[in-house]
Amino acid sequence: MAPPDAQGGRAVHVTHEDVRRLCEFIYRRTGMLFDDSKRYYIDRRIAERIAATGSESFQAYFAALRSDARQEIEHLVNAFTVNETYFYREEHQLRCMTSHLLDDLLLRKQSGESLRIWSIPCSTGEEPYSIAIWLMENWSEVDRHNIEIVASDIDTRAMKAAAEGIYGARALMRLSPSLVDRYFVRLGDGQFQIDPGLRESIQFTHVNLVDLRQMATYRDFDIIFCRNVLIYFDDASRRIAAESLFDCLQPGGYICLGHSETMSRISPLFDVRRFPDAIVYQRPETLHDRS
Amino acid sequence: MPFIKRETAGQADAATAAAEAPQLAALQDFDPDVRWSAARKLGGVAAAVPALAHALKVEQNPRVREAVMTALMRVGDEASVRVLLPYLHSQDAAQRSAAIEALQALPEVVSPFMTALLDDADSDVRILATELVRNMPAGEATRVLGDLLERELQPNVCAAAVDVLAEVGTPEALPALRACAERFRDTPFLPFAIATAVARISSAG
Repeated sequence: MAPPDAQGGRAVHVTHEDVRRLCEFIYRRTGMLFDDSKRYYIDRRIAERIAATGSESFQAYFAALRSDARQEIEHLVNAFTVNETYFYREEHQLRCMTSHLLDDLLLRKQSGESLRIWSIPCSTGEEPYSIAIWLMENWSEVDRHNIEIVASDIDTRAMKAAAEGIYGARALMRLSPSLVDRYFVRLGDGQFQIDPGLRESIQFTHVNLVDLRQMATYRDFDIIFCRNVLIYFDDASRRIAAESLFDCLQPGGYICLGHSETMSRISPLFDVRRFPDAIVYQRPETLHDRS
Repeated sequence: MPFIKRETAGQADAATAAAEAPQLAALQDFDPDVRWSAARKLGGVAAAVPALAHALKVEQNPRVREAVMTALMRVGDEASVRVLLPYLHSQDAAQRSAAIEALQALPEVVSPFMTALLDDADSDVRILATELVRNMPAGEATRVLGDLLERELQPNVCAAAVDVLAEVGTPEALPALRACAERFRDTPFLPFAIATAVARISSAG
């Protein structure tokens, strides 16, 4: 196969066996399985990455990938996944939160104690604002509790954008017109800005998920949304991140991962909880559980 | 995606190092939550390796054991690797998996131990050792596994090596692969696996 060069350069020859080799690498790293039925999709992505890295051959590209030169693993995984973020993405987890998780968490709470929810990484803010909007719209108890939403990312530019809360229509595609009217201000040119009150209700912070000292300052969360980030880490980094996230949760707290991630592949620390809407992971009440 | 990869192996956490002594004692606390916290805080502290090694021997709580293994991985020096290596012999699959995962993160420190691991009397350890080779540079991985294929008598170990070579092997592996297929021609699955690996390596364009 000589896939088309996405950037107009010389096409690099890639064989069927090369493709299988790369797909096995992706599978071992991420759990994402690509079979021959997706061959055209795969070929395009490989060609794009070979062109983008200026690799002279598939072997040169694969060597760079294995050594993670210039974070190529991240770039490749990005090429193979849909990274576009938007409001109410993975809505089933939000439904699970209001249908099951919050009721369970409130059983452990003292009267007046806040519920703490963490969105990490929060990227440009679609996720934490979605959590807030979903709670306002779908949880009848919302006005009876103090809810603290913290949104964190390592990318300060993304966080600045999140705090500004300005989005195009595409990011709002899953929201009904009435929700858009209620929670956004139209700016013109197809731009919408999150209602100022909602913007002020979310605390944006800068944090690196694998910086243990930074992570040690985040504690007592009831729910953590940590979606589509661990997939980029190698096994060892996932272990470290999973242990940090464990410490950031209250005993009995929940963590929601992206749809292609499973905590059982990452760490045996959490209990798997299967709810009708989603599979989530729970920190046990105490480590005595499995002694 | 902007997240930075894990901290460099061996990078000590200054804040936890200052509080090292109480944490060493806490590793032996009766409360597993306290032991867990202690193990977390001692990650990356080279001076804590003997205490972590002892904790790993006596710890019964699987979650705390996980944290101790991660702490040793974060130290990432020769002493911590020497502590982790014997767990490749463990009868407990979770311990073996945790040990291999930790060791895979330390390819340069593990490298001097590879010859002994690939010569281990226990074929299961040799199979696990082939996984450690997967993270080595392609040339070195090819040489190490090519040598293994020339002397290995256990077909399952050869199959594990072939699986790794299919991903990372260079054409220098082809003679050893073909010789291995010939040697194990009466073990059908192995020549089949080798044919796949040979096709993959040969077709490298």
